[in-house]
Amino acid sequence: MSAISTDALGKRYGSNWALRDCTLEIPTGSVTALVGPNGAGKTTLLKLVVGLTRPSEGTVEVLGRTPRDDERELMPKVGFVAQDHPLHAGFTVAEMLKLGQRLNPSWNDDIARRRIERLRLPLDRKVGKLSGGQQSQVALTLALAKQPELLLMDEPVASLDPLARREFLNSVLEAVTEHEMTVVLSSHIVADLERVCDHLVILSESRPLLVAQIEDVVASHRLLTGPLADAADVARVHDVIRASHTKRQTTLLVRANGHVYDAKWELHEVDLEEIVLAYLGYGAEVFEVAS
Amino acid sequence: MIWLGWRQQRTETVIAAAILALVAVILVPVGIEMAHAYTRDGLSHCLGATQRPLCDELVGNFQQRFDKYNSLVGWFNLVPGLFGVALAGPFALELERGTHRLAWTQSITRRRWVATKLGLATGSTLVASAVLIAILVWWRQPLVKLDGRMDNGAFDAQGTVILGYGLFALGLALAIGALWRRAIPAAMVAFVGYFIARIFVDTWLRQRFITPKTVTWPAGKDQPASLARSWVFTEYPSNAAGTKMQPVPRACFSGTHAKCIVRPGFGYMHAVFEPASRFWALQGIETAAFGVTGIALIAFAGWWTLHRE
Repeated sequence: MSAISTDALGKRYGSNWALRDCTLEIPTGSVTALVGPNGAGKTTLLKLVVGLTRPSEGTVEVLGRTPRDDERELMPKVGFVAQDHPLHAGFTVAEMLKLGQRLNPSWNDDIARRRIERLRLPLDRKVGKLSGGQQSQVALTLALAKQPELLLMDEPVASLDPLARREFLNSVLEAVTEHEMTVVLSSHIVADLERVCDHLVILSESRPLLVAQIEDVVASHRLLTGPLADAADVARVHDVIRASHTKRQTTLLVRANGHVYDAKWELHEVDLEEIVLAYLGYGAEVFEVAS
Repeated sequence: MIWLGWRQQRTETVIAAAILALVAVILVPVGIEMAHAYTRDGLSHCLGATQRPLCDELVGNFQQRFDKYNSLVGWFNLVPGLFGVALAGPFALELERGTHRLAWTQSITRRRWVATKLGLATGSTLVASAVLIAILVWWRQPLVKLDGRMDNGAFDAQGTVILGYGLFALGLALAIGALWRRAIPAAMVAFVGYFIARIFVDTWLRQRFITPKTVTWPAGKDQPASLARSWVFTEYPSNAAGTKMQPVPRACFSGTHAKCIVRPGFGYMHAVFEPASRFWALQGIETAAFGVTGIALIAFAGWWTLHRE
């Protein structure tokens, strides 16, 4: 069963489509990275899933229910860490935990206290006085102590420095191994995601470009370099994502359907970040790196 | 959710309590002094038709001494507006900061969140307004016995209207806050709006709630008893045939009233007024007008917040 399933989902603000033609399935138990540049529709998709906004067209189903309509049944099962994690700056950490306890019947205070203790966050400190990394940890703690079946995080690491980003993703990883849940996290930074995630959704210009397992993505994408030539014969068999030509050679990023047999092409493996960048249209940089 | 509501309204609750404390600190000493003077001078014996000697002088002294506080109490017309605007603060601030989305992604429904927040603000405004009424009514007791409570200055600080004022200010601040999502500017605009609405009702609308009565009496005689403690809009002389003297001869302004009415040609005096017996009817209409508008605005703020996103 899918944790999230959308069908031709779209959201329009005024005359702008923030998300359109979005049909995807996110399997139960997966950890999915939702990547794309700023403004690609990541936040809108997550808001639609958690019921903070209503679809303009299409449908979204979450854990077998419709967000917004089945608020009462669905919300206890969904944890959400919003972008810039809006917390009550005047509340102490202890008061934030109390908020979580009061608003969530499924609250597990042990989980919350243990996490806060392990992170060495002072309970009597005002949330507004914490660092960005600590604030996102408090937001994550609130979401985790709710014991959700589905954890959604919108750009949880965007405002963090590399060290804090790594620590935060480690916490997520730990939580996923400890508790069974489906996780979706959006990010415009691809680095580090591969370590945590097993599924990938690439959004660009309000539409999903690729929905796949990361393992398959990495296994199926290859960089081909060869003499300056027409790429048509390759394109007949494989999906050419990007092509670039210099005076002497042609470089192709392809999603290979089976093996590439033609001996005139030299094959290179590409990592996830390069693939994502190629999909998002920053191809030139990728090929420079490869050649 | 109720715990959260109170926690977020903590500062504003303290502000409302502080305002009430300030009002009490100003009025209680004067009130005690006034009640004491009223009893000491035996002014209660001056109220009936048969008056004791020296009553005019005693009442005159008393009024001279205490009527000046009326203008001070007039400032307290702003207080229900402050309550409403302050207690709307937590809601507007939450929308401004986006922290309502934190509550909306916990396990409670958005509807319950809106209902609790608005319910707490409404209840607190009503309680604060009720305490204000209690202080003002207690304070004015002696003055009401002497002067009645129909004049604008007294009417605004009596009965139930303050509950309506509070609800109206709260509703206005909540509705503007929900639309604008900027707490401080919304509060300022709402307060100005409250002030304008109050002035409009005080100076124009209230006298049109119920068609006023008129009374006529022969010039030079005492005013009829029905005018005592009433709200008199206009008083004008007419000639013996009952034709209104217009314009009123200049002499009437320079001389005293008594001198004027004995001038030849003035036959009768007329007054347009709301009698004291209509106090509760007028209070009811005004309370309902402000209160219903306020509740409608509060409901709109809730509805808009639920359906906007």
